[in-house]
Amino acid sequence: MTVLEAAHTSLGGFLAQVTPIQAPEIDYAAILPMLIVLGAACVGVLFEAFLPRYQRWSWQVALTLLTLVGAGLALVVYLRDNPQQGVVTLAGVLSVDRPALFLWGTLLVLAFGAVLLIADRSVEPGGAFVSHAAVRPGTIQDRAQAARLGMQTEVFPLTLFALGGMMVFCASNNLLTMFIALEVLSLPLYLMCGLARRRRLLSQEAAVKYFLLGAFASAFFLYGVALLYGYANSVRLRDIAEAAAGTNRSDTLLYAGLGLLVVGLLFKASVGPFHAWTPDVYQGAPTPVTAFMAACTKVAAFGGILRVLTGAFQATSWEWRGVLWGVAIVSMIIGAVLGLTQTDIKRMIAYSSVAHAGFLLVGSIALTGEGLSGTLFYLLAYGFTTVAAFGVVSLVRTADGEATHLSQWAGLAKRSPLVAGVFTFLLLALAGIPLTSGFIGKFVVFSAALKDGMAPLVVVALLASAVAAFFYLRVVVLMYFSEPSPEGPTVSVPGSFTMVAITLGTVITFVLGVWPAFVLDWAGAGGFAFSTT
Amino acid sequence: MLDPYVPLVLMFVLATAFSAVSVLVAPLIGPRRYNRAKLDSYECGIEPSPQPIVGGGRTPVAYYLTAMLFILFDIEMVFLYPFAVTADALGLFGLVEIALFIATVGFAYAYVWRRGGLDWN
Amino acid sequence: MTTTAVLAQAQQRLSNAELLADDPLWLTLIKVVVLFIVVMLTLALLVWAERRVLGRLQNRPGPNRAGPFGMLQSIADALKLSLKEDIRPARADKWVYIMAPIIGGIPPFLAMAVMPFGGEVTMFGVQTALQVVDLPVGVLVVLACSSVGVYSIVLAGWSSGSPYPLLGALRSAAQVISYEIAMGLSIVGVVLFAGSLSTADIAAAQSGGWFAWILPISFVIYLISMVGETNRAPFDLPEAESELVGGFHTEYTSLKFLMFFLAEYANMVVVSAFATTLFLGGGAVPWPLSAIADNALSSGYWPLLWFGLKTALLIFGFIWARAALPRLRYDQFMKFGWKVLVPLNLVWIVAVTALRVLRNAEGVTSGQRIVIIGVAVAVLVLGSLLLPGRQVADEEPQVPLAGSGYPLPPLDLTVPTPPRQRRTVRARAEQPREAVTASGKEAGDGNA
Repeated sequence: MTVLEAAHTSLGGFLAQVTPIQAPEIDYAAILPMLIVLGAACVGVLFEAFLPRYQRWSWQVALTLLTLVGAGLALVVYLRDNPQQGVVTLAGVLSVDRPALFLWGTLLVLAFGAVLLIADRSVEPGGAFVSHAAVRPGTIQDRAQAARLGMQTEVFPLTLFALGGMMVFCASNNLLTMFIALEVLSLPLYLMCGLARRRRLLSQEAAVKYFLLGAFASAFFLYGVALLYGYANSVRLRDIAEAAAGTNRSDTLLYAGLGLLVVGLLFKASVGPFHAWTPDVYQGAPTPVTAFMAACTKVAAFGGILRVLTGAFQATSWEWRGVLWGVAIVSMIIGAVLGLTQTDIKRMIAYSSVAHAGFLLVGSIALTGEGLSGTLFYLLAYGFTTVAAFGVVSLVRTADGEATHLSQWAGLAKRSPLVAGVFTFLLLALAGIPLTSGFIGKFVVFSAALKDGMAPLVVVALLASAVAAFFYLRVVVLMYFSEPSPEGPTVSVPGSFTMVAITLGTVITFVLGVWPAFVLDWAGAGGFAFSTT
Repeated sequence: MLDPYVPLVLMFVLATAFSAVSVLVAPLIGPRRYNRAKLDSYECGIEPSPQPIVGGGRTPVAYYLTAMLFILFDIEMVFLYPFAVTADALGLFGLVEIALFIATVGFAYAYVWRRGGLDWN
Repeated sequence: MTTTAVLAQAQQRLSNAELLADDPLWLTLIKVVVLFIVVMLTLALLVWAERRVLGRLQNRPGPNRAGPFGMLQSIADALKLSLKEDIRPARADKWVYIMAPIIGGIPPFLAMAVMPFGGEVTMFGVQTALQVVDLPVGVLVVLACSSVGVYSIVLAGWSSGSPYPLLGALRSAAQVISYEIAMGLSIVGVVLFAGSLSTADIAAAQSGGWFAWILPISFVIYLISMVGETNRAPFDLPEAESELVGGFHTEYTSLKFLMFFLAEYANMVVVSAFATTLFLGGGAVPWPLSAIADNALSSGYWPLLWFGLKTALLIFGFIWARAALPRLRYDQFMKFGWKVLVPLNLVWIVAVTALRVLRNAEGVTSGQRIVIIGVAVAVLVLGSLLLPGRQVADEEPQVPLAGSGYPLPPLDLTVPTPPRQRRTVRARAEQPREAVTASGKEAGDGNA
């Protein structure tokens, strides 16, 4: 108490002069899903710190799944009475509007599927992750730990951190917040890529590649933010839009800033010429993590691209649209053509994701209501198909782990008609055949682009889809019309987690292909909200 | 009126001049008697190790960990200073925010502690 | 000191920053040069004083030949060092090796420039303050300077191209950055109470009570971490003679070595002067004397004396600690820094902030305050009881690791003899047995 008294007497005189700073208004109901995810990630870290090793897996899985369900519930509750215009909260930093809510819902559901794959321990005994990732590949410790059943349970909090970062990323109204969110979503992913139980060296290589290129992309993004700040004297999207609308400031700063910013975003979305990391990382990362990355990162990145382009650069769209046309075309062609030459199933899906990123970009640069809702729908549809596809990939195994070489998939239909059937359906969805969600997704995106006067781009996109369909069908032909080799892979019977994840993905792919109206309505329920202050 | 940093620059110039002159003048005023053993690295009289740790060698990983922790806490410190300056104006809101902030770093800290990241042997 | 006196003073006195803003360039130049010379003289005196005091503490006279009481000993040492041969090892990286001592010598002087030695004075007819420069971020300048000092250590160790300096540099860097955290966090409490990062403002804010009394935990943590930060005994592990020869400056001779020596002592002065500023009221006169003539002894040039005395007292503490305490083991030392000082600091910062908020809150009676504080303390105590005391047992069987993940060789491993050595062994075996004796071997080593 003497401390307090002394302080009281000594500084009593100074206190009267202080003018209080107003705390910003926070709409807790609106950001509750995000808070739940990030809070649970922190709790997960504490679990790691204080639980004995044998309890960690079960506690972490329970916590992670409950978190996703809880955040989903909070989102649904908030959806019932949220305002049409959306809410801008936390001193204008986050805007919880209809697209953001849609993206959050998409992210949560996709993450649920991915977490089920991550948590599965039946397909690969002990789970797809190592127990000590820092051990050098090839040493006796490394061989010993491959045989043991433990796994690095840090994956779960890392997943939640990445998910939290993605949720902030697609709701942020301010480029600095966006950068922080970008880092929060990227750093855990870099780490998770290096945790594969089999093929450690490949996995670590993937992690390092992703990290180095990701760091470059972050630097590009940040440099773009700096230039835009120099241009608009603000990092808020609305302020940048206003500055660009009617002034005679230096356009060099604006376009250089926009260019660098967009490069950073396109990298995360693995679009076009910025895709170089995608095949290696998809191949090297543990398959559940690949599923998580392919589905959720793409959702978050395109959420960010949509928000930035609509919020800050709508007025100047005539200037940059041509460039993004080119990027979209390059992306589609790279994805479709290089996908043809692949012999590894994970790399093939990686190139397919590059092609899909091109299609998504076609919808994103439309900047109309239809473009927005179409892209959102496409993201949801594509995410589910991808999660299920990677789930199936994790089932086809030899003694060395997953059999990812295409030749090993020959005649799979004779071994396991069910798995081959499911995978065929998913490939058809990726190709965009009617009665699958992929068709509806492409349809809405392309029609939005057509309405916005981008007919040439749509023609290119259709051609690219046709080329891409060829390599999906090649796998189908391989599975059905080839003789299986005697020492070919076996198809594991999945445990309940993987089973649920694949079923969820497949069913939703089908449902969205047959009855898309419900989701389309929701995706088109409202536009972005940007802070007005 | 001078820029407030001018005295600091003057001091920098003076201190740099002093250090540089002393260091650079040393070879000129000292004696020079060549001896091969003098130019070898000093290892208590034994033959210098053929592959010194410099270049190609490895550094114990614990140092990297300490460096990472330093960055973490240094950034925490950087945020605490502006908070401390405006703490009175921020009031209860500031207290809650800073407690949350410290707790967040505390989670990571607890993790590192429990996993032996702070133990040296 | 009464409240009225504080208020009266606050009204009539200009802040140091305002006073310094009107300094003409020539005056600034004089101040810079004078401060530089004073610091150099202090260093010379300090080296002598340390050896004398250490001597007295160990029942021996210490240096007493050069000049009265041996006071010129440091000058003699400096002269001797400057006339020594300047050796650059063959494996050293030339430019980094030369840059390292230069980098080390600069930051302590920069840090001294922001120290508020005293308030308003008239110098050569110009109204100014006893401080070279007062920046709104003075505290950060001092911290930045101490960080830059680490570069000197690391670069010196790395560029020497020799194992001992490298190990010493790594240890030293790890130690300095670890204790820099503790030091930086202990300052947060001070900034909280002073409401400013300017050193002069912080010193002025203590006119009603030194922060050493108000923030005792911060003060103690600062005192401990300043010893760790300057690599001094009992925390002088980087230069532990018994383990690492001389630490990062093993390969340095002549004036380059002198620069490191100088930087270490200058850093001692800086952290002590900083402690005086932050916790001991800067140049303010201590309590019983402050009653004399309405605090007249805190005005004019008097603060120089008090500031110097307080700093000297702290430096004496350094020397005393060196004489009295044994060196810590490295693991104990790092453990103490990271597991005691850092968490204690963080809890203390939150507690102090909470107390301040509680005190500023309107409409809270003192009874309620006591209840709130009691509840908080109870929660803290209960929370600390919940912390498990031991590590989580790692149930998984571990393959033996040799530090970095390489397999351990078996203990009874027989190393095959390389061909050249085999020939020598055979040659020796052919000689009579007495020829290969231990004494002969030692003599051979001595010649080499």
